[in-house]
Amino acid sequence: MSDILSDISTLVIEGNFEDMPDKTNAAVEEGLSAEEILNNGLMPGMDHVGVEFKAGNMFVPEVLRSAKAMQAAMSIIRPMLAETGTETKGTILLGTVAGDLHDIGKNLVGMMCEGAGFEIIDLGKDVEPETFVEAVKEHKPRILGMSALLTTTMRAMERTIKALDEAGVRDTVKIMIGGAPVTQSFADDIGADGYAPNAASASDMAKQFAA
Amino acid sequence: MRVNKTNYLVNRTPTFEVLTEEEIEAIYYSALTVLSETGVRVYHKEGYDLLGQHGANIEDVTEDSALVKIPPEMVDIALSTLPRKVVIYGAEPDQHKMELYKNQIYFGAGSDTPFTIDPYTGERRRAQYEDVKNFARLAEALPNLDFHMSLGIVQDVAVGTYDRWQYLAMLEGTNKPINITAVDKEGLEDQLEMAYIRVGGKEEWLKTPIFSLYIEPVSPLSHSVEVIDKLMFCAEKRIPFVYTPCPLAGATAPATLAGTAVQALTESLLGIVLSQLVRKGAPMIIGGLMSAMDMRTAVYSYGSPEMALLSAAYTQITKWLGVPEYETAGCSDAKMYDEQAAMEATMNIASAALVGGNMIHDVGYLEQGLTSSGEMMVASDEIIDMVKRILKGIPVDDDSKALHVIEEVGPGGHYLAHDHTFERFKGLIWSPKLVDRQNFEEWEASGSKTHRERVHERVIEILEQEEEPLMEEGMFNELKRICELADEKHKDEELDLDMFG
Ligand code: B12
Repeated sequence: MSDILSDISTLVIEGNFEDMPDKTNAAVEEGLSAEEILNNGLMPGMDHVGVEFKAGNMFVPEVLRSAKAMQAAMSIIRPMLAETGTETKGTILLGTVAGDLHDIGKNLVGMMCEGAGFEIIDLGKDVEPETFVEAVKEHKPRILGMSALLTTTMRAMERTIKALDEAGVRDTVKIMIGGAPVTQSFADDIGADGYAPNAASASDMAKQFAA
Repeated sequence: MRVNKTNYLVNRTPTFEVLTEEEIEAIYYSALTVLSETGVRVYHKEGYDLLGQHGANIEDVTEDSALVKIPPEMVDIALSTLPRKVVIYGAEPDQHKMELYKNQIYFGAGSDTPFTIDPYTGERRRAQYEDVKNFARLAEALPNLDFHMSLGIVQDVAVGTYDRWQYLAMLEGTNKPINITAVDKEGLEDQLEMAYIRVGGKEEWLKTPIFSLYIEPVSPLSHSVEVIDKLMFCAEKRIPFVYTPCPLAGATAPATLAGTAVQALTESLLGIVLSQLVRKGAPMIIGGLMSAMDMRTAVYSYGSPEMALLSAAYTQITKWLGVPEYETAGCSDAKMYDEQAAMEATMNIASAALVGGNMIHDVGYLEQGLTSSGEMMVASDEIIDMVKRILKGIPVDDDSKALHVIEEVGPGGHYLAHDHTFERFKGLIWSPKLVDRQNFEEWEASGSKTHRERVHERVIEILEQEEEPLMEEGMFNELKRICELADEKHKDEELDLDMFG
């Protein structure tokens, strides 16, 4: 691995978003492709962060700093990736379902997935099924993530999936769901593609869906 | 009318302080700054209009909300009409009442956990009607629990009506004061109707309200439409209500605990101002459900020292303001009643009591408020008992100094058979029921049981006690009818328990 790519990995691990733009530009000037920067600089850094976080050696704010450093590089190389038609991880559409105002978990899932290289479109909280449907049509995300923290609003996930079905777009997205009272068997029952109990496994699942 | 207060207790040794008076003032005046300069978002037109008419600045009006900035004078005016004492009665008002003010301490359960630990199998499963009733029966039997909340979401009924069923299940199990939750205003109206029936009419309710409502604004600094709906309805109908922000330091509030306290107080003050505009003298209790995010797991920790510390700080602030207060203890992040649960409950119960919180809730919570446990409740009851002994302190007077007895016994004698001992040991020397102090042989002979086993047996013992029903059948049916009518309206919302596997 070139020195500059390992520097970029280190900046990700350190969460050094200040020095990242210069380093990324330097890499581009050296003639490295955006794809190389992403796959051999940024991603190895984030993978390391993921492993350390799961092992309990890194904390949430540190992981989010790393994600921010990664974003600082992404904003430079994203247009280049688009130009060369390089497959990126894709877009995740996220929202807390209708009637539910709990959003910290959803925000965290969004930031972690962003750190894994996804683009996030966050619809916020209390999102009606129709709004999800419209957004799926508009943004054509690869993955749809729904969050619910209440037994009263869990069913809004089911309603949203039905609405997507009726609109004929259910099969255009992989659906993952989460939130404290949600379980795998509930996910199976309502026809979601996956359930994850926390943000780290949500991002792992998203990576699998995108693979 | 003879009234027994539930566990009337004043902390005689309120020695636990985590803030100085200067620090309390600094937090309070900072909250006023946030309220008037940053503002709070109110998602309720009638609500922000009312605030605007009385001097608040209404800015950035959107389709569903407005940014409301409240000048300090409005807070002063509101505080001048806010009741300094709130009283909540049990379903039989002559049996139980809670007087919430100053150093009065009352403990009670938490509410609305999706899961519960089955008392017989130990399995973690979805809570149902019978569970909520059984927890209420435990509350009725446990002497140190003064009020009750629904330790479980009733999930074997239509989801939109679980609140009415929970209230019914609690009324079946206990006559102690109840802090209810409501799905929405309609759910609150139904439960108020139930309470009117239970207490013998609206007039009786106004004299002796038999529940309070639990309401939580949305941190950071937001007050949703459902929250303001409930608040305004409560103020109008003189329903005592708890307005408790649930900020999470590092996630929905600053990581610094002083910042979290400032933000929480700002959120509470909006509730105070609005309630007093709706009706001067509307009774309310402001909260304390605050913790720090665990930065490894990202959970809302219910066993953290930060929760105990923030609760204590908030208690001091509310005492300084002279406002009845809501606090959190008897809860844990453990997954079952185990050593961790006991450790965390002991810490948070002790600090809540020592600082003198008024209405201390969440006894019986495990797993960050996602699971309820009878063992946790029974064990906490004894922890509270133990801490109450500390609260009684060491009165120092001629009798307690006992110079005459010391003189009488003299060097080398003993006090075992002395009248002074016989007459005073009860209540002075605390005697446990579940904590084991036998010597080894006695302990072995009684089955070598662990604390957990003894606690478990006590849970089962209470659950298997035969009791007279607390309500007559006619009354029960009338209340049940309200729940059933609500079910009919919400038929399509039934939650299929099988769905969870
Ligand atoms: C903070 C909190 C609130 C705050 C939320 C503020 C905010 N900005 O989000 C406020 C005060 C607003 C609130 C309100 C209410 N709450 Co609340 N709340 C909580 C609490 C204490 C913590 C939630 C939290 O933030 N956890 C931290 C985050 C990071 O964790 P998380 O959300 O679980 O997310 C993680 C995973 O679940 C997963 N995940 C989450 N989303 C997604 C999505 C996808 C796609 C994937 C893959 C994974 C995933 O990854 C996340 C990160 O690891 C919980 C108790 C608990 N332990 O969950 C109760 C709790 C969820 N609330 C509860 C209740 C009852 C309410 C109210 C109805 C109370 C009332 N009667 O008014 C209201 C409802 C308001 C509404 N309409 O939504 C109950 C729910 C019971 C139930 N199952 O129905 C709980 C369990 C507490 C209790 N026992 O009473 N609450």
